[in-house]
Formats: sequence, C-alpha cells, structure tokens
Amino acid sequence: MKLSYIGRDLIGVVGLAIISLAAGLIINHAGPHPIPLVHQSPSERLQGELTRLVAAPPFESFPVETVGLDEFRPAVESKDDLILDARSSSFYLKGHVPGAINLARDEFARDYVRLRSSLEKSKEAPIVVYCSGGDCHDSKMVAQALTSLGYSQVKVFTGGWDAWTAAGLPTERGEPAGK
Amino acid sequence: MKLTPRTHFWIDLLIRLVVGGVFITAGAMKIGEPLQFGDKIASFEILPNSLVNLLALGLPVFEMLCGLLLIAAWLRRPAALAISIISGIFLIAIVTALARGLTIDCGCFGTGTPTRARMWLDLARDTGLFLAVVIAYLYPAIKAPHAPESEARILSERAAT
Repeated sequence: MKLSYIGRDLIGVVGLAIISLAAGLIINHAGPHPIPLVHQSPSERLQGELTRLVAAPPFESFPVETVGLDEFRPAVESKDDLILDARSSSFYLKGHVPGAINLARDEFARDYVRLRSSLEKSKEAPIVVYCSGGDCHDSKMVAQALTSLGYSQVKVFTGGWDAWTAAGLPTERGEPAGK
Repeated sequence: MKLTPRTHFWIDLLIRLVVGGVFITAGAMKIGEPLQFGDKIASFEILPNSLVNLLALGLPVFEMLCGLLLIAAWLRRPAALAISIISGIFLIAIVTALARGLTIDCGCFGTGTPTRARMWLDLARDTGLFLAVVIAYLYPAIKAPHAPESEARILSERAAT
C-alpha cells in the first residue's frame, strides 16, 4: 500500500475535475439547449415558461382533480378526452399512451404555442395529463398551468406511464399520427 | 491472502473493466440531459442552487473520463482515486437521503421512478463499486512508473549490464 502517493494523485484528480468541468461547460454552451448555470426548480422554470406566453397569469400551486387507471383507460380508449403527456420529449418519443399529445413541463411555452390551435378547442373539454408516475410532479404542474390559462376540466392521471405500462396496456412510439 | 501476480493481474483487470464500464455508462446516460440530472441533484437537498447545474454539467464528463482512463490504465492512479472519491460521495449522499426519509431517484443512470427499495439497491451497488475501486487504487497490478519496486528493478538491471 503506497499511501504516500495520495497527495500526488489528488492533484491529478483536481486536474481531471477541472478538465471535466471545462468540457461540460463547453458542451453545454455549444449544444442546442444550453441550461442556465444556476439551477432553477421545475416550478420556477414553468413560471418562466408561462411568462413567455402572452398575458399568462402567474403560476400558482393548487390542488387538481385526479383520476385512477379505471377512469383513465376508458378515456384513452374512447378518444373523447384530450390526453397530454407532461414528460420531456425524449421520453415521449420512446413510448407514450396511444393518442397522447406531448406538452412537456420543461418546454411548456414552446409546446403550448405549437399546439395552441388544437388545444384551445378543448378549453371546456375534458383533459387528462400524466407523467412518469410514482412521485412525478410534471403532470400536476402542467394541469395547474393549463387551469390558470383558463382550461376548465383538467385532471391528472396519477399512476402515469408506470401504471399504464405495468397494466400491459398498448403504447405508441414516436410522433403522433397525423400531426 | 497472497495472490499470484497472474491472479492479481486478472482481478485488477476485471475490476477496472467493470467499474470503468459502469462509470462510462453512467456518464453517457446523463450527459445529454443536464436539466433532468440537475433536478436529481437538487432533490438530494445538499447543494445550493448555484452549484447544482455546474455539477450536472461537469460530473457526467468526469465519470466518463475517469472510467476511460481506468480501463486504458493511463493515469490510472488519479482516475482510480477520483472514482473512489466520487463513489464515496455518492454513498454518503444516498445514506443521508435514506436517513432523512427522502424518496428520490439517485439519478445515477439517467432518470427513473423513485422508490425506497431502489434506493437500497443503489446503496448496495455503490458500496460494491466503492470497495472494488478502492482495492484497484490501493493494490494496482500494473506498477506505476514511480513505484519503488520497479525503480529498484530497473536499477538492478542496469547494474547487471
């Protein structure tokens, strides 16, 4: 055991860390979606996204109505309700509930503007939002954001993607058909 | 326990391949999603917001770089020490999160659904990785160039010629 080398190796560790941080910052700066250097919580980011929408009221946290799988499944199968996937697009593209449209919490303003014409037809219609499941908060936040934008019948499917796939129900991949 | 140099070499190689492979994979799975990884780091409630995103940007590169160096056996001592230190820090982070009753996803390999059971699995895996890499650091099979034994051997070979 050669503990006397630890000091020398530690200098190497610091060097590797500095190189990694510099490379990470350069990759972030050069990439398509650079992130800010100071972390913001998901709700702070959603607030930022909402203020990018014209005349959007401030984002508020309030309770939203939830549905279970027994209610969510017929809503998906009947295609009567608008189903929204609040996860980021990389997860959405890998697989989502059939017929669901991606309104990602992290890209709320961008997705909302893109979907605005079809969304605004559903202002009074039932909408169900889901995210990955378990402890995920994205669906709740998107539902709250939509409610504050004037949508009147927004609910959250709390079981999310995990409960849907665990029940062995059909899924869809990639971009929604016909969009 | 005394290992033959041959056995020692293979054990050392196996540790480096497994640990290096795990860290390269872990880094690669997070490098494209710094925003989500930042959220995972923040969920541990340890670091201030000013440091969270710097770590989210730097750590995946650091993990991949050290994993590559460990496997390539180039700068392997600093690389092995670096992996020992970060897996030690991960261990402390998971243990304190468990102790504080948080249910979070460790974010080790991209994102997943957080459960307490998974946190215990993460803890077990990190303990194994930590012990393996500490062994690889303290008992390298390939002698570092400045190791006294190899210097002594070179000197004795020179003396013989």
